Amino acid sequence: MRLSGARVRTVARREFLTTVRRKAFLFMLVGTPAYFAFVMSLSAGTGARERAEALKELAVLGVVDSSGLYTHAAREIRTELGADENPFARRTPAAASSAPSSFRTRIHFFSDQATAEAALRAGRASQVLVIPADYLERGNVRRYARKSNMFSGADRRAVSGWLAGNLVAGRVGDEVAARVARPAEKESFFTLSKQGRFELKDDRREIVDFLLPFAFAMLLGLCIMIGGQYLLQGVAEEKESRILESLLCTVSAEELMAGKLFGLGAVGLLVVAIWVGTGAFAAGPAFLLMGVTIPVAWIAIGLGYFVLGYLFYGSIMTGIGAMTNNMREAQQFAVWFSFANFVPFILITKILGHPSSALATGLSLFPPTAATAMILRLTAPSSVVPAWQLALSLALLAGATWLALVGSARVFRVALLLYGKTPSLPEILRWARQG
Amino acid sequence: MLRVQDVTKSYGGRAVVNRVSFDVHPGEVFALLGPNGAGKTTLIRMITDILRPDTGTILLDDRPIDEKTRHSIAYLPEERGLYRRSRVIDVLAYYGQLKGLTLRAARDAARSLLGRVELGEWADKQVQALSKGMQQKVQLCTALIGTPRLLILDEPFSGLDPLNVQLFEEILHERRAAGATVLLSTHQMNKVEEVCDRALMLNRGHMVLYGTVHEIRRRHADHAVMVRTEQTPGSLPGVMAVERANHDFKLTLEANTTPESVLHALLEQGVRLESFALATLPLEDIFVKVVREGLGLDGGSSGPPTVDESPVARARP
Repeated sequence: MRLSGARVRTVARREFLTTVRRKAFLFMLVGTPAYFAFVMSLSAGTGARERAEALKELAVLGVVDSSGLYTHAAREIRTELGADENPFARRTPAAASSAPSSFRTRIHFFSDQATAEAALRAGRASQVLVIPADYLERGNVRRYARKSNMFSGADRRAVSGWLAGNLVAGRVGDEVAARVARPAEKESFFTLSKQGRFELKDDRREIVDFLLPFAFAMLLGLCIMIGGQYLLQGVAEEKESRILESLLCTVSAEELMAGKLFGLGAVGLLVVAIWVGTGAFAAGPAFLLMGVTIPVAWIAIGLGYFVLGYLFYGSIMTGIGAMTNNMREAQQFAVWFSFANFVPFILITKILGHPSSALATGLSLFPPTAATAMILRLTAPSSVVPAWQLALSLALLAGATWLALVGSARVFRVALLLYGKTPSLPEILRWARQG
Repeated sequence: MLRVQDVTKSYGGRAVVNRVSFDVHPGEVFALLGPNGAGKTTLIRMITDILRPDTGTILLDDRPIDEKTRHSIAYLPEERGLYRRSRVIDVLAYYGQLKGLTLRAARDAARSLLGRVELGEWADKQVQALSKGMQQKVQLCTALIGTPRLLILDEPFSGLDPLNVQLFEEILHERRAAGATVLLSTHQMNKVEEVCDRALMLNRGHMVLYGTVHEIRRRHADHAVMVRTEQTPGSLPGVMAVERANHDFKLTLEANTTPESVLHALLEQGVRLESFALATLPLEDIFVKVVREGLGLDGGSSGPPTVDESPVARARP
């Protein structure tokens, strides 16, 4: 089948222009990154907020000391919380000034557990710590609270520090006691970078190490899916509104499909360009300050995965749009393929934590998950992906894309004018094989 | 102009179009008739190269339908729609460009067509703002843009008010006068009698009628004549029965009696005739009769219908 370049261009131009001129496109263009930025800033700030909340609630610690080890212990706990644990918080002075960085917990001794529990119930104590007589031999303590904080152990760490520091207080100097209470309070942790240098891993760096691969892979996954969804919508809409038959008299099914793939692929690329450009403008200076650089090779590889991933999913979406009778039916089928593209995000901690594991490697070679999984592996800190795996992944994805394109073009041609009946799986497979 | 030769198309082992052959001559309006499911749409889809025949050939100007010849064909399907959220002018310009016009030429042609169908002022409105009838006119414009030489119209009059039916007919005649050939598929038999030169009827994928509209009506006429006169004719040789309605008489003839001999006998009796004609059936009655016979409902064969004359022999020069 020979394709007419002029007709493919005409279809592509129409698909591109009608899509980018829609209000929904502008909403998606602005709304999607805004939504993700909002959610990520919330989740990045949540840990720090929860720690502060847990320490703020620990205003009075009731202690029932049956061991006698803490008779002369300090009557308060002072906890300093670093403000730099949320990289977004530092950039907003209001947030930095509003969050307290120092917390004070008063220690109140009770003679027995019943009195302490009554004080806890009455709200005069935030928590109660019961130190049994055999604490030194067995190490058992019991802590009582009205509720527990699921997301922070800051209160437990403060109580542990008090127990450790006061256990040795009077026997050693103040400095030693402080070190016993917080032995690694000012630890600097270095890890080997992709360039072979040991780099300091502070809290901000840890977050960037997570955010960068996540954002990069999410950007790729979203752009592939956005293009695919537009294809699905376009074909389903044309089929539902019975435009196709008159259209197919002047343009072949293959030309129509190629034009749609090119036009809506260009929409996907435009979205990538705008998001990356805006991201570079907004976050570039901060990344430079933190010494974070994005290699050109990543961009090139990302582009390759976008093109192949988009054509792979786009072909499948086009086939689904042609086979089904309306948008709702099309979405029901398409959701499974969209889900496959995002499976690596469900396993993100395993992939980023162990980028060379069998699971991460397998996902980055398996065509439906290759694009997002490989980008996660490539951008993961300390990860070095062997060149052969990258080449194999791209080759497998290219092969799968070719099969998807050929199969979908055949299904597209046959199914476009099929109304009122959703084909069975054997029928679809037969069309994909024979056309 | 268009030659369909021995074309067959099957789905799942069932022939939807079975060895169909016919010609459409340049400049004529040709009717494609048949009950629902007869295979008309499949046949049209093969002519427009949307589907490929299993066997047989379809030629346009003695060339197989391909990328170049396809540009000469325009098709207005029965199941039709438009891009509802696009502007009318953009939709037409898109179709024009797909037919090989430049954007400017397509826009100019679109505005001219919209003016012809009295929708000039709606050019910049979204399609969804138009009424159903207006949308139907825009759909006709999508077929007409690019000045096609073979215009295939599937039920073009359905849902139109009488004024718009008249407008569509005028446009049809204009296109025909300009040299276009029209293939019209419709169930409105009165329109076929009014505007079509020749017709083909399909039933269950087989050809059952083929020829000029006049010939078809003549072939299916009762063996009777219709006479209009103010006098009452006397006894006529070879006439079995006379039915009267005011001044109209239907004379049913014996098998070996010819209409000419009856006319001769009437004139010999001195009957002053206002009109004398064969008692033909309306095309609609012929349609019903042929379809029912094909289905075995009128005592006809329930097997595959057969054409009542040799179409290929007649069609081929």
